[in-house]
Formats: sequence, structure tokens, C-alpha cells
Amino acid sequence: MSVESLAVELLSAMTTAGSLFIIAAGLTLVFGAMRIANIAHGSFYMYGAFLVSTIVSSFGGGAFWVSLVAAPLIVATLGMVVEVTVLRRVYDKDHLTQLLATYAVFLILADLAIRFWGAQSRAVPTPAILSGSMRLGAASFPVYDLFVVGAAAAIGLGLWILLRFTLLGWRILAAVEDSEMLAAKGTNVRLLYTMVFGLGALLAGFGGAVVAPLQSIDTGLDANIIVAAFIVVVIGGLGSVAGAAVGAMIVGLFQALGILWTPSWAPAYIYLAMIVVLEIRPSGLFGTAEMA
Amino acid sequence: MAWPGKRRGTTHLGSVGLAVIMAAMLTGSGGSARAIAAETVAVALSTTLSGSIAELGRTGLRGIAMALEQINAQGGLLGKQIRLVSADDGAFPANGVSNVRHMILVDKAVAVFGPATSAVGTAVETVAGQYRLPVFFHMANDIQITTSNFTKYAFELVPNTVMEPRAIAYYFAENVAPKAGGKRIKIATITPNYSYGRDTVEVFLKTLKELKVDFEVAAQEFPQLGATDYTSYISALLAAHPDYVFAAIFGGDLITFTKQARGFNLEKQMKILGFYDQVALRVLGKDSPEGAIAWNRAPFWTENGPGFAKFLADYRARFHDAPSPWAITGYSAAQIWAYGVKKAGSFESDKVVAALSGATVPTIRGDITLRACDHQGEVPEFIGRVSAQTDPRYGQPIYSETVAVPASKTMLTCAEAQKRQP
Amino acid sequence: MEPTRLPDNSSQRPGPERRYGAARAWLARAASVNWEMARDAAPVGAPVRGPAIPEAPAHRSAGAPMAEAWPTTYALAVFAVGALAAFVASRVLSPVWLLELQHVAALALFAVATNLLVGYGGLVSFGQAAYYGLGAYTIALAWLHFKAPFWPSFIATPLVGAVSAFAVGLVALRTRKLYFALLTLAFAQLFYTVAQQQYDITNGATGIFGVAVPAVLMDPQVGFFFVFVAAALAMLLLWKITVSPFGLTLRAIRENRARAQSVGVNVFRHELLAFVLAGAFSAFAGGLFIIHDQSAYPELLDWTKSGEPIFMLVLGGMNSFLGPALGALVYQISHEIIVQHLKDWQLVLGLVVLAIVLFMPDGIVGLFSAKRWRRWFARPQASGPNPG
Repeated sequence: MSVESLAVELLSAMTTAGSLFIIAAGLTLVFGAMRIANIAHGSFYMYGAFLVSTIVSSFGGGAFWVSLVAAPLIVATLGMVVEVTVLRRVYDKDHLTQLLATYAVFLILADLAIRFWGAQSRAVPTPAILSGSMRLGAASFPVYDLFVVGAAAAIGLGLWILLRFTLLGWRILAAVEDSEMLAAKGTNVRLLYTMVFGLGALLAGFGGAVVAPLQSIDTGLDANIIVAAFIVVVIGGLGSVAGAAVGAMIVGLFQALGILWTPSWAPAYIYLAMIVVLEIRPSGLFGTAEMA
Repeated sequence: MAWPGKRRGTTHLGSVGLAVIMAAMLTGSGGSARAIAAETVAVALSTTLSGSIAELGRTGLRGIAMALEQINAQGGLLGKQIRLVSADDGAFPANGVSNVRHMILVDKAVAVFGPATSAVGTAVETVAGQYRLPVFFHMANDIQITTSNFTKYAFELVPNTVMEPRAIAYYFAENVAPKAGGKRIKIATITPNYSYGRDTVEVFLKTLKELKVDFEVAAQEFPQLGATDYTSYISALLAAHPDYVFAAIFGGDLITFTKQARGFNLEKQMKILGFYDQVALRVLGKDSPEGAIAWNRAPFWTENGPGFAKFLADYRARFHDAPSPWAITGYSAAQIWAYGVKKAGSFESDKVVAALSGATVPTIRGDITLRACDHQGEVPEFIGRVSAQTDPRYGQPIYSETVAVPASKTMLTCAEAQKRQP
Repeated sequence: MEPTRLPDNSSQRPGPERRYGAARAWLARAASVNWEMARDAAPVGAPVRGPAIPEAPAHRSAGAPMAEAWPTTYALAVFAVGALAAFVASRVLSPVWLLELQHVAALALFAVATNLLVGYGGLVSFGQAAYYGLGAYTIALAWLHFKAPFWPSFIATPLVGAVSAFAVGLVALRTRKLYFALLTLAFAQLFYTVAQQQYDITNGATGIFGVAVPAVLMDPQVGFFFVFVAAALAMLLLWKITVSPFGLTLRAIRENRARAQSVGVNVFRHELLAFVLAGAFSAFAGGLFIIHDQSAYPELLDWTKSGEPIFMLVLGGMNSFLGPALGALVYQISHEIIVQHLKDWQLVLGLVVLAIVLFMPDGIVGLFSAKRWRRWFARPQASGPNPG
């Protein structure tokens, strides 16, 4: 195998990792703050992609950049509605009830998506500036994939700044540590939860929006992504954003190398990776025991 | 609260509830359906209406429904109105089986239309065989349907998994290989990892060999059905430097593959042979791969049987979209069943099957002969070159040239088919 | 969570009586004091979940002395009535419903077996489809590759389920709660990808069809009766397990893990045994599915399939032994009816599940529970937001 094709493989792995990280970051954030494993996160991702396709097909290719902002915001609003109507009622219940509640939301949103968008596959054209490919010696690599990696890095940086340097971020971290203490200190924890959930949905929607030009957009996207997102989050450790980044890279690499070495076993590799990690560290790479 | 007391109360009342449900089943299995059955006759369609291949099932359903509406508007069949009963199988064979059984026994369906996927298809063929009802496959095309799983009640109305790859191989041998200038052609394949993909690629390569095409296989990839990330497969294809890549991928998977391949400039380094039907081209739009060799089971721009123009206009007016191949084959499947009923003068299965076996039936796709030995419809496969420009007549890309490879060239001989039948 | 290694247990190795003795004594106390306290003290919205402990000393004295003896007789009576009902049903119901109920019986066993983990053990596994699917694949693969006759592979299904569940449980039970749920899911997905990708062995995504099943079982009447009785016998056995010392200890662990450890219960071993048993019975249910459908395909192992028994047990009520079976009946029949008349099955299912988790945590069985009715009639004004 040549150096160029190895570089291409690694860049592809980073693209996969990037798109997974954007989704997993939201999932792990919500879990960290509210201890909710949100299956409907996959639906928010799918809605992000569908909304982009709707906006682009009604306003033309130039609207892609607008949709990249608008679609996640719409999804965040939807997320906050879900939080207020459903999740608020299950915070004090056991995790089975919570899983089922979010699974129920997942099912409802799946059928509503078919109602809104119909069953046909859709595609979003790659925006003109990013549609080319760049040369890597003899090989070439899509510019848009680099954009995905860049977007993921920007999201990671943004989250780091948010959690490190803003009041909202401090409150989120405090909620992760001890929400009762936070409430006693006078923070409106209810509102904080709604905002965190909205932020999680925003990230899922953004993840869907970013990958929209890369794949066919159809009604099975939600179920397809959620298992992979959970694996990333679990490998990294539930509640840890840095863990999600590392987990995404591990999954991206395992997938790419798996296809290279033993194609027919490739899809199994990410599950094996998760099993091995949890066998060594039962709470994931960056997780703490009480998070489970 | 004493536990045993609770338990007793629970189970007792629980069994009352159970009895109520059972009673409902007893009454539900007759009554209502029989009341309607006096004026109408039901036909059954269980197909995939949810999940990632919902579009296939839903457009197929439209075609059948439109044909039956047309029949009903003209006074129905043998004086009866036809009612289409449909349900989603979610691509689960067990759901398809129980849907069809329910429609046969409760709704008293007299004929069955086939599902979207091959896996559900073979399962439905078996059920229809058990209840001796004619079943028409307008989407599922596994070769098993007309061979190892064959029942005389089954009719296959699209090119099966032997005919389709043979047709592509013939086209390749006649139109592509001679231009190679005596050089050995390097071919890579990428197909989903299940029987459609495996059978298609196997028959394609075998037929090329039979046709004495000088080629070698550079790489073979079998991604998971429903994969969303093809980049690693694409770089493997690029690394193999083939002249052609045979991509027997369909639906959303093909769109994802094409878009991701575009980013890697794959089209500049090899020619694609792909399952680009009108749906894929409509979705891809200007991202369609210019000049790719494409195959298609029913392109609306070449179909020209009696009534097709009206069907096309009606469909476009109603759904603001061109009909998918499945809408077209679905429409013709309903016409074929109706023809059988009229010819037999009865809805009775055995008479309808006898009337159709070996018959040549006029449909919107032209005359279709249903071969007596395996009930394979003698339908052509359409092969052409993708033109990425939007065709002003249809508002989407179509092919620049379309060739029909006739069934006579690609079907198994009757002797071959019957040897594989039970 | 580390597997428990207790020094006194491993060195002394007391007999079963002694080993359970301590747990029993604690249970009696826990049941009489803590359990009731936990119930009463539980805030609205956080009810103590899971099946109640049967050996709890009855506050109303009726039946208390016979608490050990009568349940078995009672269960046998329920079984006999069930079998009789099934026989009658097989004579009067139309084939379409018999075949539907055949599927229900297999799923009911699957749901009841899953409830051994979820309801009794407090172990939420999101990967039980792995064992259901393996049961089906055991028969299908043996038939495909070796033309093996039906009965030996049918009988082997629980063994295959037990062995694979043992291997998975050894790893998965090292984690807790959500990590456990997701790790079991990962194992199930691993099996799923093997079934889907290893085309040469499993036929890939197409699956295996037309598996040979004895002709007599293909008759809807006989087939239904056989599957029903086989599932019911398996459930009887499972019920016996839940009221055994092992079952009691399992519930004690669920209620208070640390406490169970402190009285000398090997938590890891008990949970592993529960996992193995659930796997074995789920695989047997998968074997029954083969009688119903004569096919095995990868979707049987998918995570959405693992969600089904969870829905069923929540729908029917995980706080009673047969609740999940009732849930399976309602789930499957309503699925059958809804997909025929409505396109939005997932929407309806989602709304129902949401209603149940939010408003009726004891499921359908909760609606019928004597306690609920008594409360209803005694204090009609006290219908708060959390009935049942």
C-alpha cells in the first residue's frame, strides 16, 4: 500500500470520526448533565439532514450555508419541546423508564418524518466552493470531507470554550457534578436542563446538516446513526466530551482499517472495540464509575 | 399489601382480558369482511412502506392502486369493484408472511402482489403457494422465485437476478469491450453483501467469460446493505486501478456511493456501470455520473405500450414526479392479473393461473408473454448511458441512448429452469 | 462494577441451604421492614419497581401458612387451564389467528425470559434478541449445512443460548446499568453483523428460508397447540425458578446490592446465572419461532428486535410474572391490526409506550390489579398523577 493511499485512508477515518464526534458530543453532554441516554438523538440528526434538504431544494444551492445554521436551530427548538413535554417527567425515574421514553420519542419522530417529507430518498448537492477535490500525490481527497473535519474541530473548540469560560458552561459542569447543590445555590436547574437538551439537539441537528451533502437522506438515518453514536460515547466514557472525541477517532480508525484488512468483518470491528474498551475500563476511557 | 392477593387478582382479571381479546378474534375473523365481499373483491399487497427503502414500496403501491382505480372506473372486473388491501412489512419476512396470510384469510384476497425485497419475496411466494393464490412479483426478482422456490401460482414480472446481469454483460461485450483495442480490461465490483449483490456479480462475470471478453477482476468489495460511509471502499477501488467498476448498488446506497465517489474523482479514473434508474437520477440531479453505463427495469422515457402516455401524464399530475420503475411494473402487474381474470371469466386461482400461463398480455409496457415453464415474464432489461444534463421534458437527467436487451437472450432455458425447480 | 469475590464464601463453600440461609434471613427482614418502608417512603414518581417479593409475610393472615405450598399448585392449575384454553382455541379459531397466536406464544416466552433479567434482576439488557435470533439460527444453520433433522437442533437451542449468554455475561456483567445495557446491545449487534456479513455461512442479509419442520407441526392447529404448550411449560419452569431461593436472592440483589453482598451473596454469580437462564429461554423461544416461520434472518438479531420484549414487558407490566406474556399478546395483535389499517405503526407504538411510562408504570396488568381497584373504590378522591 502506497503512502498516498494510506494518507487517504487516514483522512477518510478522520472524516468519519469528525461526523461521529459532532453527534456524540451532544449525546454525551445530555447524558452528563441529566443522566439521560437519549435514543431520540438519532431522530434529531435525521431531522437536521432532512431540513437541510428541504431548505436547499426550496431556495437553491446557495441556501446551504443558511440551512447549516437554520436547520440545527429548528432541531434545537424541537429538542426543547421534547424536553419540556416528555423528559422533564422522567428525570427522577429509573434508567429503563428513561430509555423507553426516549425510544418512544424516537418512534414517534420516525413516523412524523415520513409524514412531513415522504418516503423518497433525497440528496443535497455539495456547495460549489467545497465540491472539488485536492491532490495528495497521486491520490485525491474530497474538499468537503476536510470541511467536515474542520467543522468537528470547531465544534470541539466551541464546546471547550463554552464549558471552560462561560457561566452557562460552569453551570452545566456543576449540574454534572451535583445538580441538587446547584439548585440550592439558586440556579434554575429546570431551565438549565432545557437549554442543555436544546444544545444537545442542536449538535445532533448540526451533525445531520453537515453530512447531508455526503449521503442519501432517507427515513432510516435515525436508526443507522444512533447505535454508532452510543458506541462512541460509551468508549469515551458517558458524560465526557473529550472522551467522545477520542471514541470517535477510535471508531473511525477501526472502521477504515477493518474495510482495508478484512472487509467482510469490518462492521463488527466497532462493536469489538467497545467490548474491549469496557472490558479494560468498565466506565469507558474518560468516564467515572458513578456515571453509570 | 400482601403479594399473593395481588397476584390472584391480577391473573384472574388478566385472563378475563385475554378471553375478551380471543372473543374479538373469533368475531373479527368473519363479519365485517364478508359484508363488503358481496360487492367488492380484495387483492393483497404487503410491501415495505417504512425505513430506508420505503420509497420502493410506496411508489409500487401507487402503480397498482392507479391500475385498479382505472379498472374500477371502467366498471370493475366481472361486475365487481376491486379493493386493494395493503400493509407495511418493514422488510421483515415474518411480517410480510403474516400480513399476506391475514389478507388472504380475513380480507378474502383473491390475488397477491409481491413485496419490495427478495427476502420477503420468497417468503410470500411460499405463503401464496400454500393458500393457492396467484402472486405477481413486480419488484422482488430473486432467481429462486422461478426456480428452487417455484410454485405454479407465482409470476415474475421483472428481469430476475440471472437475466439482469446477463443483459449488462451482453451490452458490455457488444458495445464496450471492442473499444478496448485488444487490451485486457480490468474490472472491479462493488455490490451489497446479500444474495442480490452476490448473484448479480457472479452471473455478470461468468457471462463475460462465456462471451470471451478478455478481462481480469481487479478488486471485489461487498459493503453492508444500507452502508452510509463508502470512503474506505472507494479508496480500495481507486488503489486497484480498474478500467470499470461494476456497482450493483441500488436506491439510497447508490446515491451515497456516487456522491462520495465524486469527491474522490473516481469517475475520472474509471467508468461506472451502475443501477442508475430514474429515481436515482432524479435524486442525484446534476451530480449524476455523466456517461456511466446504467441499467433499468422500466425507464419511463422508452416505455410506449398502449395507454402509457396517459399513465405518465396522470402520474405526473398526481404525484408531481415521474413514475419509478416500480410504479410502472406495479401498474402492469395489476393489468396482467385483470387480464387473467377476464380471460378465465372467474376470480378462481387455478383458472386465473391457467389463463395466464403461457399467455401474451397487453399492458402499458407493451405485450408481455408469461413463459409457461417458469412463469417468467419475457421483459427486456434496459441499458443506457447516463446524461447528467437535466432533460427539459422531464426535469431530471435520463439516458442519452437506451438499448433494450430482450429476454430471449438472457433467460435461462426452460430446461435449465425446470432442472432447478422442485 | 467488579465481580464480587467474597472471602468467606470461596474458602468455606457452604452447601446451598447454608448459603441461602443468610440471604433468607435477611430477606425476611428486608421484606417485612425495608420493602414496606421503601414502598411507603417512595416519593410519587419514583415507585419501587420490579415484581414484589412473594415470600413477604402476608399482612392479611389468609393463606399465609401455605405461602410455600400453594403457589405451585396454583401455577399448575393456571397451566392446565391455559393448555385447555389453547386446545379449545385450536379447534375454534381460524388458521390466520392460530398462526398469529403461535407467533405470540414464542414472543411471550421471549418477553417473560427477558423479564427475569429486567424485572426480577433489575438488569436492563438491550441485547436479548441475540439469543432469540441464535435459537432460530441454530436450527436454520444445522438444516442448511448438515441437513440436520429438526428435533435434535430444536432441543439444542437452549443449550446454545445458555453457552453464548454465559460468554457474553462474563464480560457484560462486569459493568452496571447503562453501560450494561449498551454492552449487551454491542454483543447483539456483533452477532447481527456476523449473520449479515458472513454470506458463505449464513446467506447474509437474505437469511435462511424454508427450514424443514416436521410436517405435523405445519398444521396450524397442531402447530399452535404444540408451540403454546412448549412455551407454557418453559414459563412454568421459569416461574419455578423465580420463586426458588435463587429467584428470591436475585430480587434481594436488585433491591439492595450492597446489603446482599454484605450477607454473603455472590452477586456476580447470581446475575450471571440469571443472564444464562434468560439466554437459554430466549433461544428456546427463537426455536419456537422457527416452527412458526421456518426462517432465520439477521433482523431477528437487530437492536430494534431487542427492544420488542422490553416494550412487551413494560406494556403488560413487569411487576407480575405473566404481565410480559400479556404484553406480547397485546403488542403483536395490535401490530397486526394497526399495520393493516394505518400506516403509522411506529407513531401509535411510541404514543402508547410514552403513555405507559409516564402514567401507568405497572402496565396493563396494573390496570387490572386488585390493589388499584380497591384504592379506586376506597378513596376515589385520591387519584393522583401516579395511579397504580
